[in-house]
Amino acid sequence: MKSHVERLPIDSDAQVPGREPIRYQPSSRYGKGVQEKTFWKSFKKCSMKFGLYIAVLAICLYSFFPIYWMMISSVRPSQRLFLDSSLVFWPPDFSSYVSLFQQTNYIANFINSVLMAVGTIVVSIVLSAFVAYGATRLRFRGKTTLVASMLFAYMFPPLMLAIPMAAAFRSFGLTDTLWGLLIAHLAISLPLAVWLLWGFFKSMPFDLEEAAMVDGCSQFEAFIKVVLPLSAPGLITVAIFSFLLSWADYVFALILIMSDQRKTLPVALESLLGAHDLRWGEVLAGASLIALPLFLIFIFCYRYFVAGLSAGAVKG
Amino acid sequence: MVQDWRIVALFIGSIVLLGVIIGGPLIYAIMLSFYSAKSFIGELQWVGLKNYTSALQDPLFWLSFTNGLIIAISAIVLQVVLGVGIAMVLNKRFLGQTVVRAIAILPYFLPTVVACLIAQWMLDPNYGLLKSILASIGAGMPDWSSHAFTARGTIVLVSVWLWTPFVVTCVLAGLQTIPTQLYEAARVDGAGAWRQFWHVTIPGLRSVLIVVILLRGIWMFNKFDLIWLLTKGGPLNQTETLPTLAYRKSFLEFNLGGGAAVATISFLILAGVILVYLRLFPIDDAKQGR
Repeated sequence: MKSHVERLPIDSDAQVPGREPIRYQPSSRYGKGVQEKTFWKSFKKCSMKFGLYIAVLAICLYSFFPIYWMMISSVRPSQRLFLDSSLVFWPPDFSSYVSLFQQTNYIANFINSVLMAVGTIVVSIVLSAFVAYGATRLRFRGKTTLVASMLFAYMFPPLMLAIPMAAAFRSFGLTDTLWGLLIAHLAISLPLAVWLLWGFFKSMPFDLEEAAMVDGCSQFEAFIKVVLPLSAPGLITVAIFSFLLSWADYVFALILIMSDQRKTLPVALESLLGAHDLRWGEVLAGASLIALPLFLIFIFCYRYFVAGLSAGAVKG
Repeated sequence: MVQDWRIVALFIGSIVLLGVIIGGPLIYAIMLSFYSAKSFIGELQWVGLKNYTSALQDPLFWLSFTNGLIIAISAIVLQVVLGVGIAMVLNKRFLGQTVVRAIAILPYFLPTVVACLIAQWMLDPNYGLLKSILASIGAGMPDWSSHAFTARGTIVLVSVWLWTPFVVTCVLAGLQTIPTQLYEAARVDGAGAWRQFWHVTIPGLRSVLIVVILLRGIWMFNKFDLIWLLTKGGPLNQTETLPTLAYRKSFLEFNLGGGAAVATISFLILAGVILVYLRLFPIDDAKQGR
């Protein structure tokens, strides 16, 4: 900024003979000691930098401390859990984890959650790829309506889907089954998946398939062999967000599943807390175990998370 | 354009399946709201608009509605203010920027259950961390779940912690689209940091903020799991919202028709608000600013 104000008028005006160069800067800033000024400036710069790092530290603490506190509490021995609030605990004690596995159905619940997540990911990807590809490449009326309705559908109140599902599943014999829950998870993940993949296929030029088709592929083969491999980043994003929706779902599992054996992790964990004796150690161990797979995926697929978010993958 | 019949068939098949999975329940919910279904097994009985009139005459319905509005609006305001603030900091250059950005987004990906359990553990009136901190300075720990203000405050606090990262990510992306020349021009005109923020940054983020507020508003208004996990609508229905009311009616009072009616009304209210919002702040218009 300084360079603009200083240089422009002086350089241009100085060449005009007989005219005094105009100084735009107040003389006090230049006339007095330059040293004092640079000192003040560097002090200001330093304190700005310092303030920035304080703010960054505060943000990290705010975001991460609760998660850290959950994990550190889960490795405290249960007799010290309610007394000890030290920030570091060493050596870790995994007795809460052991009793979680021994006294509850946690492993069965974990398997249920994994099954739901895998099912949701696979079916979402397959169906949404067909729908999104069709919506970008086929010619038909109401294309915009279709895509807009997808965006609309993933903003439905969850209970607007859960209440009728609970009632309808009764007549189809799907009550309290994982198949029923899978349908519910698909209902929340499919609109998002179609929306993400639609954006992805739309930006992919048709020339690619055309080239494959000139070389003798049918459009179907071009879709499978050219379009899908090239949209791997989009498919990964869809997989991650389908996983997140299914893994974190509490509402549908609460409403559609009754028996302990078939519960998924979030509901099973919550019912632990509701149990007669308050077992915080086990609850926190279980919560850490729900979060752990997420963290692993998060570390390895960070860029897909961010890509999905900016493409409109809202969850929550 | 060549159209392969297999593509067409798979497309139509998937659309039909999608319609059954998503559209089916929606239609069935609206249908249920016109029937009296007192249990899951009993016969449905047509009652017309009775579920709607009795819902609208119920003071609990209006209490839930205002509770939902209070919680949603305060959560959104805090999320946006805090989100823009954090994004402004993270947009600066500093050491370890990538790691810090990742940490700042992390809470967003936690399941709601985990966040609620952490909050309940830290705020536990007998054993929680907050209690020991308060005890060390000689203050007592109130039971947050037994007062309307603290119960609502906790719900807002947890939802701010969980979902502010979404605002942060969107605002960070939005900040990249503001041309640096605008800041230079503002500086030449003598604008300080504060005026640059109000006259360059905020107008530049307009389109992002319109979308973010819309999405967060929809999700906060529809929020069920967080409220149910933290307070179950208590104390004395002071944190009851329309989703928890619909759940209570359907699955605790076994009044499926009534629950479906409440869900339908809240859906209609939301749709109306979205239409007004989009009329006031058109997204297409905003996108041109990008």
